[in-house]
Amino acid sequence: MKILTTVKKVVDVELTMRVEDGAIVEDGMQYVINAWDESAVEASVQLKENNGAETTLVSVGGGDNTDMIRRCYAMGIENGIHIEDPALDKADSSIYARVLQMVYEKGDYDLVITGKQAQDTDSGQTGIILAEYLGLPCVSNVVAIEVLDGQHIKVSRSGDAGTEIVEMELPALITVDVSINEPRLPQMRGIMMAKKKKIEVMDLAALGVSADDISAAAPRSEIVEYMASKTRKGGQKFEGEPADITAQVVDLLANEAKVL
Amino acid sequence: MNPFFMSLLLIVGLAIFGRTMVHKIRLLMALGPANRANHIKARLKNLVVLAMGQKRLVGRKKEWASGLMHALIFWGFCVLLIRSLTLYGEGFVQGFQLPFLGDRYILGYLYIAIKDIMEGIVLLMVVYAFIRRMILKPARLHNTWEAYFVLGMIGVLMISDLLYDGARYYLIMHHNNPAHLHFFNNPQYGSEFLWTPVSVGAGVFLAGLSADVIGYVMICMFWLHIITQLTFLNFLPLGKHFHVITALPNVYLKKLGYPHQKTKLLDLENEVAWEDESLGINHIHQLTWKQGLDLYTCTECGRCKEVCPTYITDKPLNLHDFNDKLKLELLDNADNIIKRAKLSATIKQDDAADQTDKIKTEMVELNSKKELIGDVIAQDTLWACTTCRACEEVCPVTIEHVPRIMAMRQGQTLMAEAYPKELNPSLKGLERNGNPWGIGYDKRADWAEGLDVKLMADDADVDYLLWVGCAGSFDDRSKKVSTSLVKILQKAHIDFAILGVEEKCTGDFARRVGNEMLYQMMAQENIETLNNYGVKKIITACPHCLNTLKHEYPQMGGNYQVMHHAEFIDQLVKEGKITLRKSLEDTLTYHDPCYLGRYNSIYDQPRSILNSISQDGLKELDRHGRESFCCGAGGGRMWMEETIGKRINLERAEEIVAKKATRVAVGCPFCLTMIEDGMKELDKEEEIKTRDIAELVAESLA
Repeated sequence: MKILTTVKKVVDVELTMRVEDGAIVEDGMQYVINAWDESAVEASVQLKENNGAETTLVSVGGGDNTDMIRRCYAMGIENGIHIEDPALDKADSSIYARVLQMVYEKGDYDLVITGKQAQDTDSGQTGIILAEYLGLPCVSNVVAIEVLDGQHIKVSRSGDAGTEIVEMELPALITVDVSINEPRLPQMRGIMMAKKKKIEVMDLAALGVSADDISAAAPRSEIVEYMASKTRKGGQKFEGEPADITAQVVDLLANEAKVL
Repeated sequence: MNPFFMSLLLIVGLAIFGRTMVHKIRLLMALGPANRANHIKARLKNLVVLAMGQKRLVGRKKEWASGLMHALIFWGFCVLLIRSLTLYGEGFVQGFQLPFLGDRYILGYLYIAIKDIMEGIVLLMVVYAFIRRMILKPARLHNTWEAYFVLGMIGVLMISDLLYDGARYYLIMHHNNPAHLHFFNNPQYGSEFLWTPVSVGAGVFLAGLSADVIGYVMICMFWLHIITQLTFLNFLPLGKHFHVITALPNVYLKKLGYPHQKTKLLDLENEVAWEDESLGINHIHQLTWKQGLDLYTCTECGRCKEVCPTYITDKPLNLHDFNDKLKLELLDNADNIIKRAKLSATIKQDDAADQTDKIKTEMVELNSKKELIGDVIAQDTLWACTTCRACEEVCPVTIEHVPRIMAMRQGQTLMAEAYPKELNPSLKGLERNGNPWGIGYDKRADWAEGLDVKLMADDADVDYLLWVGCAGSFDDRSKKVSTSLVKILQKAHIDFAILGVEEKCTGDFARRVGNEMLYQMMAQENIETLNNYGVKKIITACPHCLNTLKHEYPQMGGNYQVMHHAEFIDQLVKEGKITLRKSLEDTLTYHDPCYLGRYNSIYDQPRSILNSISQDGLKELDRHGRESFCCGAGGGRMWMEETIGKRINLERAEEIVAKKATRVAVGCPFCLTMIEDGMKELDKEEEIKTRDIAELVAESLA
């Protein structure tokens, strides 16, 4: 089985994002692998270990993704492709899906695993658009995968009402939830091996697409501006006898909040 | 007596003993290196105090009786060693005397008197030991036939010698010495029997027997004593009583300067080490010779497990069992380990790569067929340890338990990648944001907002760096400790700064769980930052940070003078830079953090501070100081669930509750969390407040 896994580099959501002049302040920001994609990587590696598979990852855009891809190698991914092109600067899910489609068509993949969504935009579109472009059966929000035979897999999809068990014929595409696994932490041995591995970096031309094709595809959405979200002020805690507290609250509502 | 028979016994006895010992020593020599040859003076001091003086046996209040028993038997043996030489001589020459210990010297008389009394005492102690094992049955003791057999042999040795002398006394004094036996009889000091009351007393058992019978008894007792002694000597190396021979060297070779062998700084770039699986301990032959000697020396006394927080709370780690299993594995593989070391020695001389590979293949074939972790030591056992060192502190023969566990964890994490996966989120947090909580590194200095604390980036020309640590920076409860400490330092007008977002976890936690890679990454970045700012003096409120900064960073080129805040506050008080009010009315007790006490010997300063703020003075817990009880969070356990047995922090919290304390002081953020959580679980958090020393001091500033 040949598996293609898509990964995206996102801002570390543990950090506080600062916005100035409608753009994110880059100073002090750090970028990490999207958590859902990390689970996709782990799922691929587990399939490789348990059922035998060839694993390839692809990342599109994001600048220098070397560290992230090496980290995935250290987790057990065998091949890495990175598509970088100035034409991708304003890419949205549909453009990403278009580029990924081209990557898919160059290989002979049986299964595509993507993260359900990305931590930066949270749009959750790329995987399912890609399935549409490829005409592949797609199950989203997968929380378990079982290989039935060379042609079929059985996946569990976590839905609002319960878990759906779906059998799929390969080739197919699934998007995974983070709850599917606990991604392994790359260890020294893997990291050392990963250093020696090549990453196939190519631009759109090398992929056989012209930048114009991409522009022609025109993004369906566009980021116009970033704005800092308003943080809620901390509440006020009152202590003491209920009667005193009531008086205090009434006073504050009347004089400070001026709602009474 | 009979030179021929004596020669035969000695030759056979010593030859077998020599053969056994040569094999045991060859096995040690085939193990890994350890440098323990330096500082002879300090080593001799340990030998005198710990081994000869039996400090950890007689010095523990909880076990003074059995400790004294052992010490008396040991001292008795030392005295009797000289007597044995005389007896061997007697086998060849009647009336054999050692230089200066003969009947012409008062020393000779004093010696026989001491020997006589010691024999009596040892015999009494053997009786006590039997009673203890058979009737009193202390929980830590592991009763085996071997223990009874050895006690029996010691008893036989004493009885035979006493009866031998008793028989001599009867023949000489009551039967006119028919065989013209030699005895001490100096006109100045009198007959030897005036000096040997116990032997004379033993002679009473022979009263009424004829001279002939007493003569036979004397000869039988003589040879019984010699044969028992040689049997005893040959029996020792075969079991736990090997410690009679190895304890003295083991104590002499004890680690100096730091309580145990420091965790080895591994060369992670060394590809050969990866191929040979020689990073950490993955196979029994990777123990150092000193660790091998530790195993020879373990007496299975069980003191280690009795103080072990994991054993007490029903975890699978039983150190006496742990040692025993390793020892068996070592001995089972002895021949292969020796062969392996020989093969390894041939590699160095031969440069041809294919030849080297061939030898290495042969060496791998000699590896134990058992997985060290998995078959010999269970996973749960290895990961239970909190690295608290209580075991090492009470071990009478100074066995270093923890470094072995650490090296095995390194092996598990690096080579086998078989560490508890529940550690992953914390390790990832360390990797990405430099703290095990995984909170964004940019929030590291948020706690200090509005406190007017300088950042090194703004002013590095300060006297002290305040190393806040991850807990002090990110954990809401510990942030209050940081704030209190800042208040104290500001009150004392100390010129200090923090690193802010440039500070990262010291890597302590990663190292304790065997993740040497992550530790080195953290250490390297921190050392770079610290050295760039030219930091010399560091104050920290976390004993784990203290230990790593002070003792482990020098391995990587970071040399700083590091103080725990308790040391620093104590110094401020003594220098008069701050004044404390005796304002605390509660019944105050103190929980010694392991990495402050047992690792860094800081016991007095916290107590001095607490005594100066408490009106009633400090009330000690039963387990305190060197024998303090771990909170359960050390050794990376803070970041693992405790699913087996009783929770360690609960055990400690119960002890504090039982002491009727109303306030418990700690000096470690992990202890703070663990003890406070324990109190919450017991629903005692309101009655018994857990506070860091800094918080108590900040409240008591005059």
